[in-house]
Amino acid sequence: MSEPSTETQAANKASAPPPAAHDPGHAHDDHGHGAHDPIHAANPHLAHHFDTPQQQFDAGKLGIWLFLLTEVLFFAGLFCAYTVYRSMHPEVFVYAHYFLDTKLGAVNTCVLLISSLTAAWAVRNAQLAEKKMLMINIVITIACAFTFMGVKYVEYSHKYHDGLLPGHNFQPKEQIWELATFRNKHPEAAEYAEKLAKLDEKKHEAPGAAAAKAEAHEEKVERPTEEELEPLIAAGLVGPRSLDPSAHISRPRMAHVFFGIYFFMTGLHGFHVLIGIGIWVWMLLKAAKGQFGPTYFGPIDFTALYWHLVDLIWIYLFPLLYLIH
Amino acid sequence: MSDDKPEAEKPEAAEAPKAEAEAEQAPASEPQSAPAKTADHDHGGHGHAHAHAAGDAHGHDDHGLAHTMPLPLLFGVLGALLALTIATVAVTSIDLGAQGNLIVAMVIATVKAALVCVFFMHLLWDKKFNAILFLTSVLLLILFLSLTTNDRGEYQHDVDTYRALQLQAK
Repeated sequence: MSEPSTETQAANKASAPPPAAHDPGHAHDDHGHGAHDPIHAANPHLAHHFDTPQQQFDAGKLGIWLFLLTEVLFFAGLFCAYTVYRSMHPEVFVYAHYFLDTKLGAVNTCVLLISSLTAAWAVRNAQLAEKKMLMINIVITIACAFTFMGVKYVEYSHKYHDGLLPGHNFQPKEQIWELATFRNKHPEAAEYAEKLAKLDEKKHEAPGAAAAKAEAHEEKVERPTEEELEPLIAAGLVGPRSLDPSAHISRPRMAHVFFGIYFFMTGLHGFHVLIGIGIWVWMLLKAAKGQFGPTYFGPIDFTALYWHLVDLIWIYLFPLLYLIH
Repeated sequence: MSDDKPEAEKPEAAEAPKAEAEAEQAPASEPQSAPAKTADHDHGGHGHAHAHAAGDAHGHDDHGLAHTMPLPLLFGVLGALLALTIATVAVTSIDLGAQGNLIVAMVIATVKAALVCVFFMHLLWDKKFNAILFLTSVLLLILFLSLTTNDRGEYQHDVDTYRALQLQAK
């Protein structure tokens, strides 16, 4: 075992000088990897396995872009679930989006965009060795990230209290026609849906002997025709393709799946924001030590690239979840 | 490297290509001397930046290892992004048909994403290979979504039939 390894080492040593002879433009080869190497001596942040700061920076940049590629594919699975479910049940998305607060979503979008600016600005600060501005920009970025998570906390706790959770936990406390967002947009449909729901309720409540009478009375009002449901169809509450319209009035079947998708997509995104906060704090500590300058700003650049990707994903999540027409 | 530089700088600095070429080749001709090489590397960044400035219309503000973003450009991009955010919220209240609103929202989101990628993420000044990597991920995403959507559409008839049977059973 030891024989081949010593042979390889010998081979490496033997082969080290020739590249220097072939390629005189590169100054590193003939100087080996010792502590006396002038380039490494001049650049304390240049790792020993890199020859120049440029090589180190380019390698790191390639690495972070490869990571971002895997991140896009990571989120692609959730975007795929969204696409399939929305194409199958457009009425579920129309129904559910009335429960989301567009204002909070828009505020969060702006907060993330501003933090993206400060992240890009921080890269410039690092390149120009502007230590104070670099730290200020990192602190603003972190503050924006906390604002984003704060708004998300408000949204999540609101949904928790209103029973807007995935799966069996989906027990909405408010009906769609009780929501101001829906009433303002489709007053006629809201009234109609409420009336139909009340008839349904009476039918279920009527017990024993009274039931027969009540049922006979309501049999005519039940099972509205496609034309009668026009306002609800116009509001997108009942899908035109729906085979059993009356069953969908109070809420579409499987509406809970929307909240499954919503919590998974925003949750995974929020998790990325939390990780981003951690990395930015680490970068702040490094910046406080004055480590960054024209030949060493890679870590700030790569953190900013990650941060921009988190912003990119939110740029798509916002219209897809909050701005459904 | 030293061979490309004189050519790249010819259009801009036609008077001094010879001097440049000599300056660049000088260190290369002394591969054994350590101090000369250190000097070459110390100034290497600037030489590199020069070549970019001459050859690349965008790289006017190179600093060391990579391009430095000018502040007015950064703020301009932020302004455009915020304006597009307002636009995408405003356009939701206009009825553009069942798919129209979705298409408009996605087009606006893609323009915003492109602004972030090109300027905030420096892709315009970055190595082209990094841009290709990122576009590959977008291409794979589109393939993933379109093939799955296509496949799902194939089974819509079966789903409808199954639901109709379920309703009849009720």
